[in-house]
Amino acid sequence: MNDARRKKKKAVDQIDLTAAPQTTSDDPGDYTSIRVPIPPASAFNRDRPAGCLLQAQLRHFHHAESGRLPREKRDGRHPEEIKTEAEAAAYIAKITEILHPQRRRKPRSPKPNPAASLAAT
Amino acid sequence: MPPGLDALKHIVVLMMENRSFDHMLGSLKAVNQEIDGLDGSQGNLDTQGNQVLAQPLAEFQGQLDPDPDHAFPAVDQQIFNGDQSNPRVPSMQGFVKNYFQQRQDVAHSQKIMYNFTQDQLPVLTSLALNFAVFNRWFSSIPGPTLCNRAFAHYGTSFGQVGMNVFYPQRKSVYERLQEAGHTAKLYYFDQQSSSLEVVNLLQHQPQLFGTYDQFLADCKSGTLSDYSFVEPNYSDHDNDDGAQLASDQHPDHHVQAGELYIASVYNAIHSNPALWASTVLLVVYDEHGGIFDHVPPPGCTSDGYSAGPADTQLNYTFNFDRLGVRVPAVLISPWIPKGTVVSADRVFEHASIPNTVTSHFMGAYAAATAREKAAETFLDLLSLPAMRTDNVVFSM
Repeated sequence: MNDARRKKKKAVDQIDLTAAPQTTSDDPGDYTSIRVPIPPASAFNRDRPAGCLLQAQLRHFHHAESGRLPREKRDGRHPEEIKTEAEAAAYIAKITEILHPQRRRKPRSPKPNPAASLAAT
Repeated sequence: MPPGLDALKHIVVLMMENRSFDHMLGSLKAVNQEIDGLDGSQGNLDTQGNQVLAQPLAEFQGQLDPDPDHAFPAVDQQIFNGDQSNPRVPSMQGFVKNYFQQRQDVAHSQKIMYNFTQDQLPVLTSLALNFAVFNRWFSSIPGPTLCNRAFAHYGTSFGQVGMNVFYPQRKSVYERLQEAGHTAKLYYFDQQSSSLEVVNLLQHQPQLFGTYDQFLADCKSGTLSDYSFVEPNYSDHDNDDGAQLASDQHPDHHVQAGELYIASVYNAIHSNPALWASTVLLVVYDEHGGIFDHVPPPGCTSDGYSAGPADTQLNYTFNFDRLGVRVPAVLISPWIPKGTVVSADRVFEHASIPNTVTSHFMGAYAAATAREKAAETFLDLLSLPAMRTDNVVFSM
């Protein structure tokens, strides 16, 4: 929220959304702030088996890898050998880096990420 | 031209995964009777002949395991309840029976009827109630993710009813815009999640892509493209920032993580006043993921393709003349009257996206499929004579 908006703000209703969301007022400049619940740490499971969507994505990355890279530079794994979400993510990142290289970025403030603090998981 | 359209410079689409309208927004009928959700009367028979009503018992994770089948033959059963006659009428009576096939567990099969309550989904329901919710936005094909997403990118799936949409013969909406001197970008979450549009666009046109970090930076700096398509995170994984929770809401990923992601996209646009005034955000789901919805999908203009029995895995040819199951869709802009419910008279599907984007920025596009040309556009919903000054913000 910028300064101008902050000045216009009449009231911020911190709504606990374990109750039903309240509607906003029609008054000019009125704000309703809605707190978004955070998933529990137990939601995170990097060892979850890769589902049908990830399996399809793996097949497509394998197709791209096979078509673009010389054999000696390929990952060497067949999509069916990749079992978990974390394994799929690692393979996908490797091929994405080739297809769409990213510049090294500076450290930044964290984006909203419910799992970022799940260091123990 | 309405002032909201005059001001419109950016269209952003966030496409989530695999949830039906009734599952996510059906509870809102109790808040606004105009919303075509659940009233307690909708149900399916289970395999033992017992009536199973839609009930507000959905859980964020762990309930829809295994992932409900949403391949073409499964969706055909969900919609037509096994009726293979010709002609036939969609009854929406085959969801429980279809889910039973995966675990042979009657009690578990009934969970396909469960929906979330309003308070469980504060982000999606608040946006729906404060801006515009569509009563009739359907997936484009009664089938899985990638053929449906293709309609958002190309206005067709090139005859595919499955997950392998390779080598399209038509230009994507991004290519059209760029060739016409406009800007367009697909933003994927990070390299570990990447894009689902791999074989056709990421491989051959990587310049079209950015990451979610870049989306946030572009919103902040006011350098967002004319058209942006945002993808969620498709997996639980680690990156340089630590553990990343899947935010796509695909079963069995945690639904609240998707709520956070939707809020994050919204906040990124809303927190830049100039961008907020000149942007419309569509939050939509690619398909229903096998989960119950009570509205029968209507027929539609064919895109000129057909899929034979080898592809449909049924004993008939599909001519792309019927839409898939209804999905949640919410349009957000300060130029939309609060509490807009788009009536059931207007039918939208994912081909509405390229048609709307192309029409707004380029005008008529002769090379579009007949299906795309016939698809409803949605920018007329930005109808207010003056921009709203009330605000919804999400704190995370």
